[in-house]
Amino acid sequence: MKIIGITGGKGGTGKSTISTALAVELARKGKKIFLCDMDADCPNDHLLLGIERKQECAVHQRIAKWDFDKCDNCGKCAKVCRNNAIVCVEGTPPIFMAKQCNGCGACVIECPRDAISWDKKVVGAIYKGTGFGVDLLSCELEINEPVSEIVVAKACEIIAADKEKYDYIIVDTAAGTHCDVIAALGACDAALCITEPTPLGAHDLELICKLLSRMNMDFEVVVNRYEAGQDEIVARVISKYSKTIFARVPYSKKIMIDYSSGIPVKHKSIEKITAWVEGLI
Amino acid sequence: MKQITILSGKGGVGKSSITASLAIALSKKRKIVCADCDVDASNLALVFGMNTDDFKMWESISTNQKARVDLSKCISCRKCASECYFNAIDWDDAKKIPVFREFGCEGCGVCEMICPSKAIELYDVSNARIGYGKTKYGFVVVSGQLEMGESGSGKVVSRVKELALNVSGHADVMLVDAAAGIGCTVIASVAGSDYVIGVCEPTPSGFSDLKRALSVVNHFNIHYGIVINKYDMNPEYTRKIEEFAKKKGIRVLSKIGYDKCFMDALVNLVPVIEFSPPYKEIFDGIVRALEDESVFNR
Repeated sequence: MKIIGITGGKGGTGKSTISTALAVELARKGKKIFLCDMDADCPNDHLLLGIERKQECAVHQRIAKWDFDKCDNCGKCAKVCRNNAIVCVEGTPPIFMAKQCNGCGACVIECPRDAISWDKKVVGAIYKGTGFGVDLLSCELEINEPVSEIVVAKACEIIAADKEKYDYIIVDTAAGTHCDVIAALGACDAALCITEPTPLGAHDLELICKLLSRMNMDFEVVVNRYEAGQDEIVARVISKYSKTIFARVPYSKKIMIDYSSGIPVKHKSIEKITAWVEGLI
Repeated sequence: MKQITILSGKGGVGKSSITASLAIALSKKRKIVCADCDVDASNLALVFGMNTDDFKMWESISTNQKARVDLSKCISCRKCASECYFNAIDWDDAKKIPVFREFGCEGCGVCEMICPSKAIELYDVSNARIGYGKTKYGFVVVSGQLEMGESGSGKVVSRVKELALNVSGHADVMLVDAAAGIGCTVIASVAGSDYVIGVCEPTPSGFSDLKRALSVVNHFNIHYGIVINKYDMNPEYTRKIEEFAKKKGIRVLSKIGYDKCFMDALVNLVPVIEFSPPYKEIFDGIVRALEDESVFNR
């Protein structure tokens, strides 16, 4: 069993396109595949594959709750809250903004009258579905909740529990290099970085290369829409990490139409990536 | 000053390209400043063809604190490790001491509060760099970049906007380029905006992500319009997006056709409005649509 992260830094470079294509190609070869869409902000793998998802579980985070019979409006809770989730005007009960609460517990510890206890809020959900012989897991952040990482961490728990059922687990990360991406990559054995041949793609790719080197993770670089820009911009950046461009996916109208109509992309570059995945030790 | 924020949910749909060209179009009649609030992977300055030398100032900032322990005072009670909600403190059983993880600490201060021997203190971490420089088009761009693995990006976004306000020299408009997604940085980018432009492409993903991003904007009760980029790539989805906009009373500010020129402009580090003449009229059209939406005198 191997877990492969699909990442890249910049958004819209083709992470989901290649994740779904790779998952479907491996499944077609008879492998048991778990595709995990860890872009909790904007999950799309189910749309690309036309998979109907069912909610597996809600993801909760603890938050503070007040017993106003015990509260004497001292305002100490607001003073220790570093997330600005509690506002206290002297002599009036605290106003609590649940969306801002990160559940740290400082207010619960600080309250001299034991007036604060625990409640929970929904910060997202995990969905599951099946299609093209692939089991799909999909993370989804609740609107206006700030911390996608909590949903991703829950998905990592599910991966850890279920991983022996699969030959390969494909982890499709969000754009960027933030905590949710780091948490998703933390579950992986190796990574594929998908980029586009523009200065922007190269700039963001370098951030991901830095991150992966720091995590000591094996990775390869794939350039998507390679003939639409200049892939030597990418080659120059990754040479610092002793890498060359591993595969190139073309900028074809057929791929674009397939992509927008829920058909997994087929191309010899995907076969090359598939062979790389199968060769991972 | 009016703050206009450009977001999309989905990455790579043309946010930064559109922001840069819109900035140039707006700057003909108004004094503007740009704030690149994608602090995870900032590249608006790149679209303007700026390099490091063009930046007047790059400074480290701290919007976050982290905990550290003075082991000479530690009495091995283990309270810090068991109370940390973020699992940022491991317990070394052999040495009977807490081990603070490099990442994971949210700086909430709980360990400092409960440590009976006052062995733990919070200290400021330099978690980001922010800076600004003048583009060759006459206005200033402010950028921010979170340090690898650090948290507190929402607060870094607020600092980028603060700096933009301070260095803008009484600009009329601040254009904010938000990150992909709908999490903390996007929420911080939208907060305080007078108007939001949602950029989308006509695909199932583009539409789904746009709707999620606009739900965030709805929470703030801010007016918005949308720009459909590459609209001719999938006419069926363009129609769906237009129907959605009509039903919700959202203005479609512009529909921009697919053009390889966008990619060529990026590779040449020139905003598309400067790279290809027909785009002047397209972006002037967006400016007129914004005027029509009373964005500048709300």
